[in-house]
Amino acid sequence: MSSTPASSQKNIVGISKNGTLDYTKLEKLLGPLVLQKEDHVNAPAFVIRPDSVEEALTLLRDEAGFDHLSCVTAQEYEDRFESIYHLRKYDSPQHELGIVVPSPKNNPWNQSACSVFRTADWHEREAYDLVGINYEGHPDLRRILLPDTWQGHPLSLDYDQNKPQLITLQEHENPLRDTDEENTMFINIGPHHPATHGVLHLKTVLDGEHVVSVDPDIGYLHRCEEQMAQGLNYRYQIMPYPDRWDYASAGLLNEWAYARAAEDLVNIEVPEYAEIIRTMGAELCRICAHFLAVGTFALDIYGDFTAIFMYAMRDREIVQSILEDLTGQRMMFNYFRLGGVVWDLPEPRDEFLSKIQKFLDKIPAGIQEYSELMTTNEIFQLRCVGTGILPPDVARQYGVTGPVARGSGIDYDLRRDDPYGYYENLDWNVVTNDGCDIYSRFLVRLGEVEQSAKIIGQCISLLESWPEEDRIIQANVPRTIKPPADAEIYRAVEAAKGELGIYIRSDGTQQPARFKIRSPCFSNLSTLSEMATGGLVPDLIAALGSLDIVLGEVDR
Amino acid sequence: MITLPLTTQTPLVDAISHLLGLDGSFGLILSAFIAAFLIGNIMLISAGIAGPWAKRKITAVFTDRIAVNRLGPLGLLIIVADAVRLLAKELIVPEGVDRPSWDIAPLILPFSALLGFAVIPMGGPLQLADPETGLVFVFAVASIASVGVVIGGYSSNNKFSMLGGLRAVAMNIAYEIPLIVTAASVVLFAGSLRLSEIVSAQAAPLIVIAGVTIPSWFAFVNPFAFVLFLIANLAEIGRNPFDIPEAPTELVAGYVTEYSSVYFVLFFLGEFLHVFLGGAIIATLFLGGPAAPISSLSFIPGFIWFLLKIWSVFLFTQWMRAAIPRVRIDQMIEIGWKGLLALSFINLILTAILVGVIA
Repeated sequence: MSSTPASSQKNIVGISKNGTLDYTKLEKLLGPLVLQKEDHVNAPAFVIRPDSVEEALTLLRDEAGFDHLSCVTAQEYEDRFESIYHLRKYDSPQHELGIVVPSPKNNPWNQSACSVFRTADWHEREAYDLVGINYEGHPDLRRILLPDTWQGHPLSLDYDQNKPQLITLQEHENPLRDTDEENTMFINIGPHHPATHGVLHLKTVLDGEHVVSVDPDIGYLHRCEEQMAQGLNYRYQIMPYPDRWDYASAGLLNEWAYARAAEDLVNIEVPEYAEIIRTMGAELCRICAHFLAVGTFALDIYGDFTAIFMYAMRDREIVQSILEDLTGQRMMFNYFRLGGVVWDLPEPRDEFLSKIQKFLDKIPAGIQEYSELMTTNEIFQLRCVGTGILPPDVARQYGVTGPVARGSGIDYDLRRDDPYGYYENLDWNVVTNDGCDIYSRFLVRLGEVEQSAKIIGQCISLLESWPEEDRIIQANVPRTIKPPADAEIYRAVEAAKGELGIYIRSDGTQQPARFKIRSPCFSNLSTLSEMATGGLVPDLIAALGSLDIVLGEVDR
Repeated sequence: MITLPLTTQTPLVDAISHLLGLDGSFGLILSAFIAAFLIGNIMLISAGIAGPWAKRKITAVFTDRIAVNRLGPLGLLIIVADAVRLLAKELIVPEGVDRPSWDIAPLILPFSALLGFAVIPMGGPLQLADPETGLVFVFAVASIASVGVVIGGYSSNNKFSMLGGLRAVAMNIAYEIPLIVTAASVVLFAGSLRLSEIVSAQAAPLIVIAGVTIPSWFAFVNPFAFVLFLIANLAEIGRNPFDIPEAPTELVAGYVTEYSSVYFVLFFLGEFLHVFLGGAIIATLFLGGPAAPISSLSFIPGFIWFLLKIWSVFLFTQWMRAAIPRVRIDQMIEIGWKGLLALSFINLILTAILVGVIA
């Protein structure tokens, strides 16, 4: 399988002279493969035949530089099934393209994209599981979120929710099976295991202490978030739910993902003042989430509730109390509204802002403390340097984003590359590290804490000097939102773990007809076997810790 | 029949039989039981305090927390509460465990540790037995513990337990040799395996600095051996950075995974006793046993000094646990075989040369 990054090639097709995408050239590239052109709100999309998926995606990847398959959305219409491949470029994420693959109602199938993008493996499994499209040529098409014995596909139109599901005992049986090979041992790490960061089940085959293969089994925390959103209205009801995806204090970042998609769908302009508050809140969440990542990663490496874990929790607690002051909640913030935020900064403003400033002043010393305890510790380096290797080309293949991608030297950050909020106007850097190992991912997270602090500091001084009469926290948004029928959008933000994307298709009602969440943890987790195979059990645990997954977001 | 020219002195037993006027072989046996009861309980109390209470308090200080403070002064009554809690729990016997060995394993750990204390001089007459081969005895019984760990790991019918048991064996083999070789360098200095003689060999003054006499504790005489021994001891008792057999985030709880209730308590107790036995061995070999650090403080009973010393070793292990990451299993084996073993032999040879030159 060739996985040459397109950026290394000189002639990338489909770019006009001013650097934007030229869709007519792209159409020409695909030639007869394109049946039709659709207009999604974020970018145009080409409709292709179900048997030309591989060919079209290979062309686009190798010739046009679309090396990032962000998301695969599947859905059922009254008259057809449809898979949408959302393509992007790691080098310029604003270059987007959708590939729409309709398939017949009576026999929903299309060619699998697995041979072009390895990330399609898990995404297509999910599409098969929830919607029921069969992907031909998929190496391992089985259910991913629901149990193997599940009857029907919950997001298909004829699915009967009231029909009881019979989960056979077989499903609950402890699969203490023997492996075919001799001298290996099958071991279930999780779903209840101290290092799986939630309910994750790793089906692991060991040869002594060496990992022969590892297959993450997810779905224990599947709460039908997509289906729930499809039953709720845009204006008020969906917003509380994003907090529950990545619940490890990244709530505002998730809310922003939904807010951005919905606002772009119906053209809501967010007031500048609200954008600054959003930016500040989101970065506070990012610090919070990264502290948790650092702490729990220390737990995996140190093996106990050690000093570093507690220090991370202590520092995180300060951010939590700031966020509590801002939003009134510690975990499920529900602070964003379409077109702004729910309320202004708490009074007295000076006290609140100086509380944040006080916290920011402590950050350099805190980072120094972490460096002394961890990054400069020789045993820590022994464990982390050169283990859990994820080369950049493999990372691209798996659609890896966030600190994990940046730890592999991929300079990809939607805050800078696909600007939203107030990030454009602020002075900050994207942290990357070429180490490709566990250590570099850790360093990236620590570096991002510093950068987030820098962003927050600038937001504070802006908020302090903002004239009182211009403090508009909410744009004028109608009470009911009904986007035009058949409007489709895919929009992503840089959440704590990477690219958190939302696909919405509207059917002209107050509720989305399809609401798809592209979870960064989902794609990042799929690289685990790539990192851990051939290593030792402790390396597997460390690699898992360095991915910083939150199962609430993986399973949704 | 061969009679070995070994004499075993029994200071504590003699003292008790003298005090209670017990004589004859029956009296001797009775006073031996009383003595054993006494020593055993001293160590059990130590471990009992250390397990539920001191460990939490110490770790809390290291990690910026408060820890137990609700039950009794400073939360001390947590000891009672924990005892009740742990003993009242149901003993869950998983399906398919290898029954007699599964039951025996938890007994072996505390047993081996308690047996080790029999020959440790704790100050005054507080020494159950003082055989000529005391040092050999203490290492011999201490390493029985790994048998218990292996049995427990293997008979649990759990893959995590088995991996833990296997790791424990690998680790003990790798670290017991450097441990004993380093101890042998102390024997070269002291000229005896008898622990009381090793202690008395450390009583002589080493140097006098500003009127304060520094005793010739082997930690001062040969700090290199002391450090080696401390590190190897961490592996022996399975604490960070070598808590590999249990490795909570990797192997759930290693060989204790399937044990609950009283059996768990026994494992737990055995581990703490081993930490203290390690401390006692370090105190005896390197820190002058029950001797006061400076002669002007020798009015404080030796037993207090002895307890202080083993508790400081306990404190050291807790410090390591709170601050040092765990090494990987292959790295640990490498450190053991390639690093510590070589260093301990170098230490032994240099010590032998040094002792030879002085003699």
